Amino acid sequence: MEGRSPWYLAYRRLRRNRVALAFGALFVAIVVFVLAAPLWTDHVAHTGPNATHTTEKVEVDGEAREIVNLEGKPIEPLFLAAGGEFFLGADGRLGRDEMVRLMYGGRVSIFVGIAATLIATLLATVLGLIAGYYRGWPDAVISRTLDTIWAFPVTLLAIALGLSLAVGGLQIGPLDLSGSSLWIPILIIAFVYTPYMARPIRGAVLSLREREFVEAAVSQGAGPLRVMFSELLPNLLSTLIVFFTLGVANSMLLESTLSFLGVGVQAPNTSWGTMIGDGFELISTAPLLTVIPGTMILLTVLAINVIGDGLRDALDPKSKLRLEAHAGIPEPDGTAV
Amino acid sequence: MRKLHAALAVLGLVSVALVLSSCGSSSSGKEGGTLTGSYASFPDYLDPALSYSQEGWLAMYNTYLPLLTYKHADGAEGAEVVPALAESLPEISADRKTYKLTLRKGLEYSDGTPVKASDFASTVERVFKISSPGSPFYEGIVGAEEFAKTRTGGIPGIKTDDKTGEITIELTSPRGTFTNELAMLFVALVPPNTPAKNMTTDPIPATGPYEIVESEPGRGWSYERNPQWAKANGEAMPDLPDGHVDKIEISIVRNGATQVNEIERDKTDWMQTIVPADLFNKVKDKYEDTQFRVEHPINLYFFWMNTQQPPFDDLEVRQAVNYALDTAALERIYAGSLSAAHQILPEGVPGHEAFDLYPHDMAKAKAMLEEASPSDREITVWTNNESPSDDAGAYFSDVLGKLGFKAKLKVINGDNYYTVIGNAETPDLDTGFTAWIPDYPNPNGFFQPLLSGESIAPIYNSNFAKMDDPKLNAKVAKLSEEQLGAEQEDEYRALDREYMEKAPWAPFGTNTLSTFVSSEIDLDEVIFNPTMGQDLTSFQFK
Repeated sequence: MEGRSPWYLAYRRLRRNRVALAFGALFVAIVVFVLAAPLWTDHVAHTGPNATHTTEKVEVDGEAREIVNLEGKPIEPLFLAAGGEFFLGADGRLGRDEMVRLMYGGRVSIFVGIAATLIATLLATVLGLIAGYYRGWPDAVISRTLDTIWAFPVTLLAIALGLSLAVGGLQIGPLDLSGSSLWIPILIIAFVYTPYMARPIRGAVLSLREREFVEAAVSQGAGPLRVMFSELLPNLLSTLIVFFTLGVANSMLLESTLSFLGVGVQAPNTSWGTMIGDGFELISTAPLLTVIPGTMILLTVLAINVIGDGLRDALDPKSKLRLEAHAGIPEPDGTAV
Repeated sequence: MRKLHAALAVLGLVSVALVLSSCGSSSSGKEGGTLTGSYASFPDYLDPALSYSQEGWLAMYNTYLPLLTYKHADGAEGAEVVPALAESLPEISADRKTYKLTLRKGLEYSDGTPVKASDFASTVERVFKISSPGSPFYEGIVGAEEFAKTRTGGIPGIKTDDKTGEITIELTSPRGTFTNELAMLFVALVPPNTPAKNMTTDPIPATGPYEIVESEPGRGWSYERNPQWAKANGEAMPDLPDGHVDKIEISIVRNGATQVNEIERDKTDWMQTIVPADLFNKVKDKYEDTQFRVEHPINLYFFWMNTQQPPFDDLEVRQAVNYALDTAALERIYAGSLSAAHQILPEGVPGHEAFDLYPHDMAKAKAMLEEASPSDREITVWTNNESPSDDAGAYFSDVLGKLGFKAKLKVINGDNYYTVIGNAETPDLDTGFTAWIPDYPNPNGFFQPLLSGESIAPIYNSNFAKMDDPKLNAKVAKLSEEQLGAEQEDEYRALDREYMEKAPWAPFGTNTLSTFVSSEIDLDEVIFNPTMGQDLTSFQFK
């Protein structure tokens, strides 16, 4: 029988998981949707995400209609009645195009989610490798520090950091970020989620370092750095991929929470979370302003979570057994379980 | 038969007389009952020396009385200072530095302690001892600044005589607003043994028609009639209202929609908070003039421009911005609660006369800016995150962008917004939003702190535009020493125009408040004082 790599087998298993693939397609569609924002802006909506239209009118079926009425109520979704302008209506009293903001807001939400998780994963990997490989005092220092951060409820810690940094920004050495910088929520989310990733990585490293291949590398004269990054890291990769994927969903949710509370993404940037916050004030008269970005968050997070579960099932042997026993999926060599 | 006719005629006359007499009565509602109200949050303090919020002042307007107070009336009439514990308005010396008042006879606190003239001295001393936010208003009294440091030995500028009730106050220099400052709640008389600490949870004995009998921060507080009002104080102060209800219970309901709902179901009689923006028009349409009324407090909303650095050091640029600003757009942003204005003195302030030097004209604004051709076009627009100030800032930023500036919007937390923009060390203070609620309805409250060069300070600066015009400074300084009269009102009227010609700000209006009551309350009787808010003595059940 031809030997196949674990990655190929994982790919085969993932390909058979139709639910994960369907949600993967949904995620790709959402990413394409938000990446198309400049095209929509230039060719359809003819307005930017921050352009206000409070006293302007839009022509609908030959009739000039106010974008925001005298009482401050925004125009409802026009879909294609005005050639795509105000497709989802206006965002509130400023009369900004809701569809344009939804597309640009999605770019920010997804970017923050991915960037924050990437930083958290990198930090957690380095800390987990050092703590797990060296053990002793480096482990004690790193683990107790992470425990201290872990002791705070994630959301409360993030809100506290967001409140203080949104005003004064962040100045550490050469790093100088203003309070409205997008990197503030990214760093806050990365900071609060790092312990949640670092601890299981440390546990995995503690287990892996006792394995024969590590002893073999050491006996061949490999130094700690080489062992950590050439021997241990590749064996952690499948775990990291699953952590990263599920982490993006959690980061997006936390970003939305912080932005809804006004301590995450700051104006003039917008995200789906800030859009919910902005729309919440008009929830009784224009509920779609809250429902639409809320639905986008729901779909994106759901898609990422299902993809993450699919990846875990594909990469983790224990979950493979569970999935295959449940679904009756045949082994890669064709024999049914 | 003739007797019957005569009897019917007498009966008819009596009926007519009864109808006429009832028409002449000031109100036909019930006396007594318990008024229930809701606040969205507990006031900063229920201690007159400490509270510096409209919510707190409203709560204590009818409990703690200063020597002078504001007339219990709506609109401009409510801006009039009238005697309260004092027999009359102060007698002011020719050099405008000495104020003489006489305490009314026979006054008592709600615990039965007699009110004495010397209580005024101990009250002012308590203001300094407790580090009240109102203490700067009284630092102009001779010896007050020294007392603020030592907190012992009394304030030599206050002389009192408990036998005659005479109170003499000497100021270091004339102060045209001192009459208003004597009507502030900070100097509402309290018993001399009142501890110099926050007494919110242990209410101080009152002099007004109501006393606070219970106070639980975070939950609410309640009032009952002051027993001494009926015995002595009410008779001594016949111009002040007695109040209609016997008890008032205020609870904290944090959700504005719940507050509205409880009033609609007649579970609560009144909400202090403005009706939430998303329900404002619905409530207005359904209940206006029966249970709902838009109120006009004294305030001003404006965008300031830093007149001391580019690009707003150029008069033409500032004027162009004023032409570009569309107050109609801001009225929509404020969902109908904003009353547009494009000048410094708002309606209701003595000296106000409506005018608009810069009617909205974007084409003219662009042409002016092109001519001015400012070299620095990168500006930061400051606003806070409170709705709709954040939207107003975003709108202004967009307007500046349309004018050709590269505007960066900076939205910061409302809790420390004014501390940040009032600190000279804060970088990029180019332009931004301000909502100004003056301490008293005196035109000086707009010019002296906001536009006089003397007010520019490194921290807690309130002259955000850093306006420093020597000629205008001199006029403000002169007027600040004079008592407000017809002549001064004319001068303030002219000053309003002169400042707007210099365009340090782009003012856009005054924000309204609302009174919303249950169907059981007689809305016509409810008084809204522009400084103090709803007058609790005016609430009456139908």
